[in-house]
Amino acid sequence: MTRRPSSRFPLLRLALHRRRRMIAALTAGMAVFEALIVVITTTVSAEQIFGAGGRNPPGAFKAFSGSNGDVSIASYPGLLGAGLTHPFWIALQLTAIGSLAAAAVAADVEAGTVELLMVRPVSRARLLAERTGALLLVSLLLNAAATLAVAAGVALSPDLHDAVPLGGVFAAGLLGFGFSLCLTGPALAVSAAGRSRAHVVGATIAFGAVGFAVNFVALAWSKAAPLRFVSPFHYYTPGDALAHGAVPWGQLAVLAGTGAAGIALAFRLLARRDLAP
Amino acid sequence: MGNATDHTTDTTSSNVAGNAIDIVALTKRYGRTVGVQDLDISVAEGEVFGFLGPNGAGKTTTMRCIVGLLRPTDGSVRVLGRDPVAEHLSLAPYLGYLPGELRLYPELTGRETLRLLATLQGAAAPRQEELCARLNLTGADLDRTVREYSRGMKQKLGLVQALQHEPELVVLDEPTEGLDPLVQETFYTLLTELGRSGRTVLLSSHVLPEVQRTCRRVAIVRAGRLVTTATVAALREARARKVRLTFADGLGRRPLGAADHWSPDWHGDQAVLMIPPDRTVAALRELLALPVRDVTVEEAGLDEAFLDLYRGTGAGEEQAEQGARGEWRGLENPGEPENPGEPAP
Repeated sequence: MTRRPSSRFPLLRLALHRRRRMIAALTAGMAVFEALIVVITTTVSAEQIFGAGGRNPPGAFKAFSGSNGDVSIASYPGLLGAGLTHPFWIALQLTAIGSLAAAAVAADVEAGTVELLMVRPVSRARLLAERTGALLLVSLLLNAAATLAVAAGVALSPDLHDAVPLGGVFAAGLLGFGFSLCLTGPALAVSAAGRSRAHVVGATIAFGAVGFAVNFVALAWSKAAPLRFVSPFHYYTPGDALAHGAVPWGQLAVLAGTGAAGIALAFRLLARRDLAP
Repeated sequence: MGNATDHTTDTTSSNVAGNAIDIVALTKRYGRTVGVQDLDISVAEGEVFGFLGPNGAGKTTTMRCIVGLLRPTDGSVRVLGRDPVAEHLSLAPYLGYLPGELRLYPELTGRETLRLLATLQGAAAPRQEELCARLNLTGADLDRTVREYSRGMKQKLGLVQALQHEPELVVLDEPTEGLDPLVQETFYTLLTELGRSGRTVLLSSHVLPEVQRTCRRVAIVRAGRLVTTATVAALREARARKVRLTFADGLGRRPLGAADHWSPDWHGDQAVLMIPPDRTVAALRELLALPVRDVTVEEAGLDEAFLDLYRGTGAGEEQAEQGARGEWRGLENPGEPENPGEPAP
């Protein structure tokens, strides 16, 4: 007991350890959900899709296919894209981001455990860096689960394989991680400044839900079209990535940049605040 | 400072170079709420110092400023020569802290909790086993999750984590809360040992006998302001006289003239007054002009004197104001005991 403890990243490990069951459930849920989407998609033949008169669905439907361009929901990339912008997918992402962002600072402040942590030789920057690392790892895990489930389906189904390049699946997965990062930044900023877990979770859900609604309205109503630029869903376009097989680097940069700015703000806010319940 | 407290009466605090803690004009506000205001406290290296006050007096706020969790709104705090916020990383290795409202991760076991906190401390925990044994935390206890702990067990774990790395400065906020009497005894022994080993201890409490037993000097705060800083011995000497008057005429409660200032407590024909020692003779001269059948004068218990300081009216207020002005007789030139770290007799 007298030797010097040597565990690395204890705050990161603590955050993951405390939420290990939730993380496992979300990851499994994500993989199962995307697998179901793939199975459902493969049950629809190409003739059925294009024979249903859905070749030109309303513009707002692009919001459901994860596209800003020419990818209709009445297509294989559109259907798979719908699985990556589905409210269930969004809910899983928001649950992970909200919970782990709250755990970064605000939950410890609210519970009072921050006192025991921060009277040690632990800088505030280290606290936030390790907790951000935990959040990014979980986001990576969730998006990897979704991506691998879709990739497995595309690899195994000839119809899907013909319509969707495998590279597009990984491009969509990368974009999904960018989307998570985009919401992670502001959520961490709220956590760094706040003292209530509920506020962080609420703010995260608001970012996601309002972002989705704004994008939908902007696509449905031409007068609101400029608003789409403020929604992360305008830049998160897995349908386009699935159809074209390429990473939209500009959009990924916007998502990642927004996330990075939020994280930078979180560090700044945490450095200035009081750390007590 | 500190509501104009005269620290010339406090010989130890004048040695700034040898102080473990120097708080000058500390003010901490939470929005419009004032946590502490114009607080001046100095704690010498190797001293076991008591911090007394009722709940909400500002003890916890002050301690959180000392360990760097809170930023002062105004004034300065230096701990072991460092700014607790700006120089946190260089100060924290020397700190041991027990929060007043100890919160632990409920899903971790006691052992995991101690390991986590030792890891974050980045230092060996040479006293962990010994402290667990002395505080009666068994191996089976440590293997249970904190969720299953009683309040007393959590407090024991809190004491172990605060002391296991042998810190130079130990800050303990209400450390005996929830401890059973036997463990309290062990804690007092630990405190005495810390003092003997030259470590500095700041101990907050609202239980006077606890501080009286373990500390040489105390600061008393009330409503965020310093009432006085004094040795425990001086506090004892300065305690009020408890004057009990029994009237012969059976008329019960009546005006006592100037003595009403001391807020008499009436029980039928009997009035009990707490009068500062330097006012007792003058007050008695006046009171004995009344139809008094019996009078007794005794030193107030230390608890009563302490409670008097807390009261916002009557004798307590007067004493408090005198104390704040450094005028409280008996607090002047309190003298130095031979061993600063030793508990007061």
